[in-house]
Amino acid sequence: MLIVDDLHAGYGASEVLVGTTLTVKPGAVVALIGANGAGKTTTMRAVSGMLRPSRGRVVLDGKDVQGLDASRIARLGLAHSPEGRKVFGPLSVEDNLLLGAYGRLPKFLGFKSGAQADLDRVYGLFPRLKDRAKQASGTLSGGEQQMLAIGRALMARPKVMLLDEPSMGLAPVIVQEVFRTIRRLKEEGITLLLVEQFAKSALEVADYAYVMERGRIAVEGTPEELGRNERVIAAYLG
Amino acid sequence: MNPSIIGQMAVSGALMGLVYALIAYGFQLTYATSKSINFGQGELVMVSAFFSLTLTNLGLPYWLMVPGGLLFGALLGLVVERAGVRLALEQKSEGWILLSIILGLFFFSAAENIWGRDDRPFPTPISADPIHVFGVDVTRLELSVAVGVLAIMGLIELFKRRTLLGKAFEAVSADRDAAELMGISATRTVMLSYALSGAVAALAGILVSPITTVGPTMASALILKAFSVAVVAGLDSGFGVVLIGMALGALESLASFYLGSGWREAPGLTLLILALAVRPTGVFGKAVIRKV
Repeated sequence: MLIVDDLHAGYGASEVLVGTTLTVKPGAVVALIGANGAGKTTTMRAVSGMLRPSRGRVVLDGKDVQGLDASRIARLGLAHSPEGRKVFGPLSVEDNLLLGAYGRLPKFLGFKSGAQADLDRVYGLFPRLKDRAKQASGTLSGGEQQMLAIGRALMARPKVMLLDEPSMGLAPVIVQEVFRTIRRLKEEGITLLLVEQFAKSALEVADYAYVMERGRIAVEGTPEELGRNERVIAAYLG
Repeated sequence: MNPSIIGQMAVSGALMGLVYALIAYGFQLTYATSKSINFGQGELVMVSAFFSLTLTNLGLPYWLMVPGGLLFGALLGLVVERAGVRLALEQKSEGWILLSIILGLFFFSAAENIWGRDDRPFPTPISADPIHVFGVDVTRLELSVAVGVLAIMGLIELFKRRTLLGKAFEAVSADRDAAELMGISATRTVMLSYALSGAVAALAGILVSPITTVGPTMASALILKAFSVAVVAGLDSGFGVVLIGMALGALESLASFYLGSGWREAPGLTLLILALAVRPTGVFGKAVIRKV
């Protein structure tokens, strides 16, 4: 569903990614773990078009998308829930969700009825968002904003979802809730690439995992295989 | 001082102040989506007014001329975005400042060559006879300015709140990168904001011309005051520009009546200097810290 091949990207003269290669199969949850600064977030940004890769390929559902505008790639079926959540603070919770489905809704009127089924689904997953539907999203707690960011990405009915550091800055009990949600989405058959600091929790939900070091994939395998790899245990699971 | 004269002066000044507010609102529209403004906005007001005058002289009735003029203003806005703003923004440069000034100079010269240097009257079917409301005399012409300004601002605000495209406009204003991730093209949204801003400038020209006449320099004073209003009110409050615009218009009219017409520009400049010294983000503005 998503193939990343020999991806190079960076900021100005400094290259962060030096040949990242990974694959996300349909219906799989794939974890991308690694130390701070290894290039996990940069990989996400280069895949979704927030950052233009200098070399390499990104194939989404059989289509080359590297170098396209982020909005174009989003409309082709990739939903990237970015690091730091980036909800539209002044807009209401519901408007944030509706904008998640922007690509396939009528642009003037009647857009809400077109998205009602998806809204109901997201509200089913996160009942707290329904209670706060009319509230400005900037006033939500960090955990609620994370739920909103995930919900907003789901609204697009994406072919592949990228989820960057959903646990960042959240209380442990909220982090557990986030992972419960990811598990539930997995049961529904979502295709997901997950970047996480909490390597252990990420490996528990993942079907397959990549470990990044200094801009490229250092180790890959099933969570069981990584769990037996002494280097991975020492660096990330200890 | 006669209170009824003060009231009279304040009301007709405040109605003119709504024109400053409308032009300032045009700055806010493009600033919201792109953090850029068209420094040649005054020339857009003037060229659109001339174009509308030509439409009128060609025999087009007023109510067809107005949409024609707005469309022309929107097109000019798109020209400014494409020729003056887009490349600079893509390279994260501040070149749009100089480029939009240069485009303004270009429009100015073009207008002088096409329409000449003379000020010309702008015919309108709306009567200039005074009517008596709440103890002051206002003309239907002055009231048409207020109605026109508030109607277009209301429509644009309604568009932003009630349509998905409008919400996308707000999303780009709030977080351009995140909006792109939703499939919203930031480039197109910036284009839309420049088109709206151009249409708003054209309407300002059409509304004010019957009162002030049309000429190549008609907008130079207007634009200075619109800047003052935008700076004093802040670049993100539509409500703020209306309030500050009306207040400035009223103050000007009182200053020129009581102190002499030479003092007309004093309140605007004083307000501008005070605002920059005391509250650079504007009375209604939000503080933005920009690292350079």
